[in-house]
Amino acid sequence: MPGRDGIAGLICLAGSLGLLAVSFGLPQVPLVPVGPGFYPRIILTGIALLSMALIAQDWRARRALASGQESRGGDAVSRAGYGLVLLSFAVFGAYVVLLPLLGYRIATALFVAALQILLEPPASWRGWLLVPLVAIATAAMTWLVFERYLSVLLPRGTWTAW
Amino acid sequence: MFELLGQALIDIVQWKYLLPLFVGTLVGVIGGSLPGVTITMTVIVVLPFTFGLDPLQGLACMTGVYVGGSAGGLITACLLGIPGTPSAIATTFDGFPMARNGEPGRAVWLGVWSSFFGGLLGGVFLILVTGPLAALALEFGPWEYFSLFVLALAMVAGLTEGSLVKGLLSGAIGMLITVIGTDPIMGVPRFTFDSPFLAGGFPFLPVLIGVFAFSQIMSDVEKLRQPGAATTAAARPMLSVSQLKVIGEILTRPVLLLWSTIVGIVIGVLPAIGGSAANMLAWDQARKMSKTPDRFGKGTPEGIIASESSNNANVGGSLVTIMAFGIPGDAVTAVMLGAMTIHGIQSGPLFVSQQPKLAYGIYAAYIVAHVLMVAVIAATALLLLRMTRIRLAVLAPVVLTLCVVGAYALNNTMAGIYVLLIFGVVGYLLVKGGFPLAPLILGLILGDQIELNLVRSIMSDPDPWLFITRPISGGLLLAAAISVALAIWQHLRHRERQAEAEPDF
Repeated sequence: MPGRDGIAGLICLAGSLGLLAVSFGLPQVPLVPVGPGFYPRIILTGIALLSMALIAQDWRARRALASGQESRGGDAVSRAGYGLVLLSFAVFGAYVVLLPLLGYRIATALFVAALQILLEPPASWRGWLLVPLVAIATAAMTWLVFERYLSVLLPRGTWTAW
Repeated sequence: MFELLGQALIDIVQWKYLLPLFVGTLVGVIGGSLPGVTITMTVIVVLPFTFGLDPLQGLACMTGVYVGGSAGGLITACLLGIPGTPSAIATTFDGFPMARNGEPGRAVWLGVWSSFFGGLLGGVFLILVTGPLAALALEFGPWEYFSLFVLALAMVAGLTEGSLVKGLLSGAIGMLITVIGTDPIMGVPRFTFDSPFLAGGFPFLPVLIGVFAFSQIMSDVEKLRQPGAATTAAARPMLSVSQLKVIGEILTRPVLLLWSTIVGIVIGVLPAIGGSAANMLAWDQARKMSKTPDRFGKGTPEGIIASESSNNANVGGSLVTIMAFGIPGDAVTAVMLGAMTIHGIQSGPLFVSQQPKLAYGIYAAYIVAHVLMVAVIAATALLLLRMTRIRLAVLAPVVLTLCVVGAYALNNTMAGIYVLLIFGVVGYLLVKGGFPLAPLILGLILGDQIELNLVRSIMSDPDPWLFITRPISGGLLLAAAISVALAIWQHLRHRERQAEAEPDF
């Protein structure tokens, strides 16, 4: 079973070989001595070679580990920590989906509130009061600054027209 | 030159430019002083606010952030023992012991004035050297540019901590991102798989924001529930001190100040090494040069002067590289390069001669930002110390919201936000996989230019030996090869030392 570096190397190797195959299907342009696939092929070949080097490094490291030559510190981050990251990405993903539907102001207020609650659930009524205050202030202030003063049009919601 | 600089200084102190410069410096100092918020993150957050400004206003604001951020990290480094930014790590070594020995004001102000003098000396270098370097760059053909960009990538990949293979792979992935979309010569679609989303390629800024902002925020989020993650409560130290005495302490050590500044400038000019390396190296050099090296790490003023003068001089060096060659010296200047592109400015060797008002405006903004930085820290140091208590639960959603605005405002389309999310995930996974992000970003910035110059050189003359036989191009490629060879040698030596350090039972 390959380690973290080995898996990363395998993913990069598979991706680069796949794209390398696609690059040979790119059309040739008679006006230019090298076609549009020339430069990508150089990069992809480089990625493939480096990926193999990474896989080899990982294999050597794991072999050394098995024979007790080297020791590695474990990952300090707990499963709960990674779970929180995953949930944070999910909340952000939901924000990205809701943004064109609800519009910037509503979606942002909901996102800021949701992420605050997720990262640090309020333990008192003051905490619960602070969550919507920060959420509404963030959405309102950024909307005011960007739309009113910097002329940057922020997304309108197709469901809310707001 | 001096006439243009004088005019630029008069222009920059007009409210129209002074206000964004002041706001940028203030935000930079705040961002720099918050542990966990880097200068790159602060520049990314400020970037969307500059979209509606005119080019010099926007760049003045960004310059302010860069200067303010480089100095802001010293406040928490001295008073809490936590460097606000990586470029203030070495300041902690002597600043914190000095503050604990009952001299917090002396520690902070030694840092502030060292940043000021180091930054201004860096500014002199910036003004004097950018023009001649740009003139030299004008002599470059596509062969030389190709080789210069290869050198930049090789140095960045080689100088990253950890695995050299991962550094090179990261740079190559950055370059690969640039080939998605239409090819820059004939406009043929590449790797788009008939998707309209991929047809235009990935815009640089949302990728950069996604990679940097998410990797940093999510790395903080994963530690949130760990024991000991609570923020340090800050006491209220007395910062009043005789400013003349502190300035005297710095100016009576001219060799130290000058040498540390030179270290900072040289590291700034070299692509993507950054202020974090500059302050450590300058501190180490100062200790080696000192007659009393045993006092380093125990609160000696020399340690603070070396660290802080070098990290602000580093800013001047980085700006030289971006203005003369169009190569970002670090992630902060990469964002600035993106901002310049948004404002329709082509940085590179013609920038100073074709846009002198803007170029000298940046010089002037850089100088005035140092004065503003001193004023801002004087007025807000204690307040900033209280701001370090802002919880990640509040900071993270606000920063991510500003990232979304920045990605959206680029083209006013949702595509930028989708790219932000995709590369947010990619950036986090790369960091967790131990891949350095600096080579990826440089590959992303230089990828297009490397291809253009490679194809142009082949179209001019298909002889590949020209890359080696043309003196400048050959020299640059040789330097790139030496850089990679040195990196391999260093990595091997590091591994040997680690093996020796491990006890053999």
